[in-house]
Amino acid sequence: MKYAFYPGCVARGACPELYSATLEVCEILGIELDEQALEGAACTGAGVLQEKNLLLADTLNARTFALAEKSGLPLMTICSTCQGVMSQANQRLTEDPEYLAKVNETLADEGLEYKGTIDPKHLLWIIAEDLGIDFLESKIVRKLEGFKFAPFYGCYIVRPSKALKLDENPNRKQALEQVIETVGAEVVEFPGSTLCCGFPILTINPKNSQTMVANHTIDAKDRGADAMVTPCPLCHLNLDGYQPNAAALAKRDIDLPIIHLPQLVGLALGIAPEKMRLNKHLVSTKKLLSELAVAP
Amino acid sequence: MEVNFKVQRFDPESTDLVSHYQNYQVEMTESSTVLDGLIKIREEDDGTLSLRCSCRAAICGSCAMRINGEAGLACNTKIVDVIPSDGSPITIEPAGNLPVIKDLIVDFQPFWSKFKAVEPWLQPGEIEPEGEYLAPEEDMIHLAGVVSCILCGACVSDCTVLEVDDNFLGPAALAKAYRFSRDPRDESDNQRLAQLNQPGGVWDCTRCMKCVEVCPKGVDPMDRIMLLREKVMDAGHNNTSGARHANAFAKFLKNSGWLDELRLPVLSFGIFNIKAMIGLIPLGIRSQLAGKRPPIFHHKLSSAKEIKKIFEKVESKK
Amino acid sequence: MIDHDVLIIGAGLAGLRAALSAKEAGADVAVVTKVHPVRSHSNAAQGGINAALTDRGDDWRDHAYDTIKGSDFLGDQDAIEVMCREAGDEVISMENMGAIFNRDENGKLGTRSFGGQREARTFFVADFTGQALLHVLYEQIVKAGAFVYEEWFVLSLIVRDGKCGGVVMMDIRTGKIEVVRAKAVILATGGLGRVFEPSTNALICTGDGMSLAYRAGAELMDMEMVQYHPTTLKGSGVLLSEAARGEGAYLLNSENERFMLKYAPEFKELASRDVVSRCEQTEIDEGRGVDGCVLLDLRHLGEKYISERLSQIRELAMDFANVDMVKEPVPVMPGMHYAMGGVKADIDGKTAIPGLYAAGEVACISVHGGNRLGANSLLDTLVFGRRSGIHAAEMIKSVQHLSIDDSAAQDDIDNINSLLSNEKNESFGQVRLDMGTGMKNHLGVYRDQNSMEKALELVKDVKERAKSIYVADKSKTFNTNLMFSIELGFMTECAEAIAASAIQRKESRGAHTRTDMPDRDDENWLKHILVTKKDDSHDISFLDVIITDWEPVIRQY
Repeated sequence: MKYAFYPGCVARGACPELYSATLEVCEILGIELDEQALEGAACTGAGVLQEKNLLLADTLNARTFALAEKSGLPLMTICSTCQGVMSQANQRLTEDPEYLAKVNETLADEGLEYKGTIDPKHLLWIIAEDLGIDFLESKIVRKLEGFKFAPFYGCYIVRPSKALKLDENPNRKQALEQVIETVGAEVVEFPGSTLCCGFPILTINPKNSQTMVANHTIDAKDRGADAMVTPCPLCHLNLDGYQPNAAALAKRDIDLPIIHLPQLVGLALGIAPEKMRLNKHLVSTKKLLSELAVAP
Repeated sequence: MEVNFKVQRFDPESTDLVSHYQNYQVEMTESSTVLDGLIKIREEDDGTLSLRCSCRAAICGSCAMRINGEAGLACNTKIVDVIPSDGSPITIEPAGNLPVIKDLIVDFQPFWSKFKAVEPWLQPGEIEPEGEYLAPEEDMIHLAGVVSCILCGACVSDCTVLEVDDNFLGPAALAKAYRFSRDPRDESDNQRLAQLNQPGGVWDCTRCMKCVEVCPKGVDPMDRIMLLREKVMDAGHNNTSGARHANAFAKFLKNSGWLDELRLPVLSFGIFNIKAMIGLIPLGIRSQLAGKRPPIFHHKLSSAKEIKKIFEKVESKK
Repeated sequence: MIDHDVLIIGAGLAGLRAALSAKEAGADVAVVTKVHPVRSHSNAAQGGINAALTDRGDDWRDHAYDTIKGSDFLGDQDAIEVMCREAGDEVISMENMGAIFNRDENGKLGTRSFGGQREARTFFVADFTGQALLHVLYEQIVKAGAFVYEEWFVLSLIVRDGKCGGVVMMDIRTGKIEVVRAKAVILATGGLGRVFEPSTNALICTGDGMSLAYRAGAELMDMEMVQYHPTTLKGSGVLLSEAARGEGAYLLNSENERFMLKYAPEFKELASRDVVSRCEQTEIDEGRGVDGCVLLDLRHLGEKYISERLSQIRELAMDFANVDMVKEPVPVMPGMHYAMGGVKADIDGKTAIPGLYAAGEVACISVHGGNRLGANSLLDTLVFGRRSGIHAAEMIKSVQHLSIDDSAAQDDIDNINSLLSNEKNESFGQVRLDMGTGMKNHLGVYRDQNSMEKALELVKDVKERAKSIYVADKSKTFNTNLMFSIELGFMTECAEAIAASAIQRKESRGAHTRTDMPDRDDENWLKHILVTKKDDSHDISFLDVIITDWEPVIRQY
């Protein structure tokens, strides 16, 4: 299976480990990634550009979709935020032909046109829907039995449900849990798994942002999680990078590794942790990895 | 069909003052709503169960509560849509982020205080018209999408910011503020927008879309908050971390096509915000050690030129 | 004990409009309401508000005549003149306060057509006009700083020497009972829909004000006139606005025939409500219904038009009947909707009891007579709410508080204690259901002597049963169980007044259609029926209809 690959800014910037892990995992799963197809595709705007100028943000996303259409490949993301922003833009573009025409007018300068045929998909959905959970299971060489992972989706891959077509694809609401179970681990249920990590207000209201980090990581930790797993690199940045601040705010230790979805899958596929740069996290994964090494 | 409800009960006159769950089993039809079920329990099984409800038609806003953990109106939620597939009961809890008075009844006082804080009434100019104010139909149709808010509190119940910070005005009050700010007859924009630019205002929203998801009337409170942010910045209020963030974000995109994660937080906090800058240092050092720091030299995307052109073209239309 | 100049019971459109005008006139005003103001049932008015604006070439006299004809000549014409003359200013002032209203191409207020009227004079906010107006008035109340007793429940009116001097009320949140003295009390408690089952009315519409006034000695008038709305949704009985037909929807029978063409060739689907409901019932009774309903067809209006102007009812039909009106017709039936009758009051809201006013659905100023036109109820609430507030604020300048003390609450306290001590016996839900279905069956779109006698028997029975309701909840805090039991007492008295009035009227007029006396009898029955409480029963009296310029003629649509 071949996809036009849209890694997003964060996987190319602050989370290089996500990028590496994705390449490793996709290779084993037979997902062929064409990054050239979307060469020069802009940032989705991450919901922030939308605050300044919605039409502009939608035009940039339409441009990305037009590039994907040109390649003839389906579009894959590895970031919940990219997924959500793209899906919402796509909904506006495909629901209203007049709006799409207006956007295409701008794209025409570059000789591009978006016809409305793209359905952007996160790696998580590709694993659960396109490959299928059974296929994933067949590739597993190392069951992560005895480990407990807390799923953290990130807002943009669960809301708004209409743009993300959750009603048509109800399994999307449980996909992360399915993956955790398929790799042989146990799911830790906790109240925050579909709530906000606090990233968008990281600089605006650090206290609120870090309180969110503290609440989610503590809830998961206290329910026995060995790590939290997320399909969103922005959630990762906040939950991982600001966990020390959150711990200080909550006046207690937390120490909960936050791992990316492909890193979790990669461990079960037998990929060496350092190839997925699991040693490059702020909250150390050392303990988790050493337990993994000794676990049967 | 037989339906099981698990309802959170709280009796403020009890000695232990702890809420507990009570299970009820009722016979309902395919077309019954959650409210039908609760009324049936109240009328036939347990008269002590307390909840607010009135119109049964999703217009009075009385019966917002959490159904299987998510806020909604009991009256327009069909039982068949919320019965868990694993056979467990439908869980009914009071709305969140507001103090519980009894059973499913919460204290709306904080809700109304915030509603009142945005001065929710039309503030027209000095000159009174002879008859009605003239206003374009498309503006009125747009406003009708917000005026249709029934103040049920579902958005407030599930707001992820209110969960950690009582000071946030919250989605309902901010949507209301937008309704006036966007009204062509209202002339108090400067003052309204300055107030909304304060802490607890438009910038504290974390864009989690919970309010959009749970709103039973399609008001899309978060989208209104984003439009308020745009208005706030357009009115020249650019000296908040949020505005700086949005402006810097747009600037980076315009110039290079993607994000410069090294410089963005610096510009968002404000280069003179020494305290926040110092706060960033540990993260910087930690990132450096972990090898996670974004590239120091932010390269442009190959099509940066084309992207900049799109910016210029679309921005010129605004 | 608390004192206020003007105390308004109810915070719907009539109550808030009264509060605003009384406050503007300088009185010390308080509003007491059993639900938060924005939860009031005025919310449910969907289609719009009527007014004849002269700058649009309309004439208030035409509006008045349409209203009089709609009332089947039972409405008092002096009051109707007042309402229609002041309608334009009322609508404009709501707009000036902030109501958005749909517009025409020039940015002026736009109109839609409504039933029984020759002009399109209904001003509207999509299909939630009542909610939009209610919220605007609440905003104005907040701005004006009028005091609102939110979630307080009035138990009785205090009358001394024939004058009303205050109320006894209960704080629903704490159970605390308080005596409030007021120089003027304005009833604005809305309707009594819950006396019937099903009804389009909210659960709070329990006829409190009518019963409070009835117990205090006031007259209830035109109580036999109960409006059945032609388009209530199959199953749940939820209201679908007349605006649907105003915007062009058809009514079809099982043979796919627009049956209104044969009954009302000129007005068709937009004949007055009593007429359309009767036609639907006839179609259903004669076997041309679809599963007890007829069909409301909007498909030809198109999705864009429907979503801009009728979005709410589209959602209602989807939520409550699984029907998308863009794609298929909606099954509807006549459903109990509105009480034309109520506490007899004059054009300033004054009742027979000095100090007591009434405005809105609780009142009978007889602007609706035998049948209310769609979009006249919002108008009624605003015009007479305002007039009551202004009159009361002036009147109180020359009166003192009556000498009342906390002992005035004793009867209510005793009544509550007696309810709370009832043994497990009757349940609120069962008694109300028996009353509601009985009232609907015996006093439906069509009635006859036999059915009305049954209604009277039913009323006697439920009145008795209502006294022995078992109240399971003994607590002070939000004891809704206790409240419902008290409300049931209010409702049974309203039911009594309705049944007792109906059996008196020996003709068919407006909503009161007797199969055994199908003709209107202007010779003998151009009069109102009044009912007053007498011990545990009632007295009936009659009053001539006031006719100014318009002599009764045969009514055709």
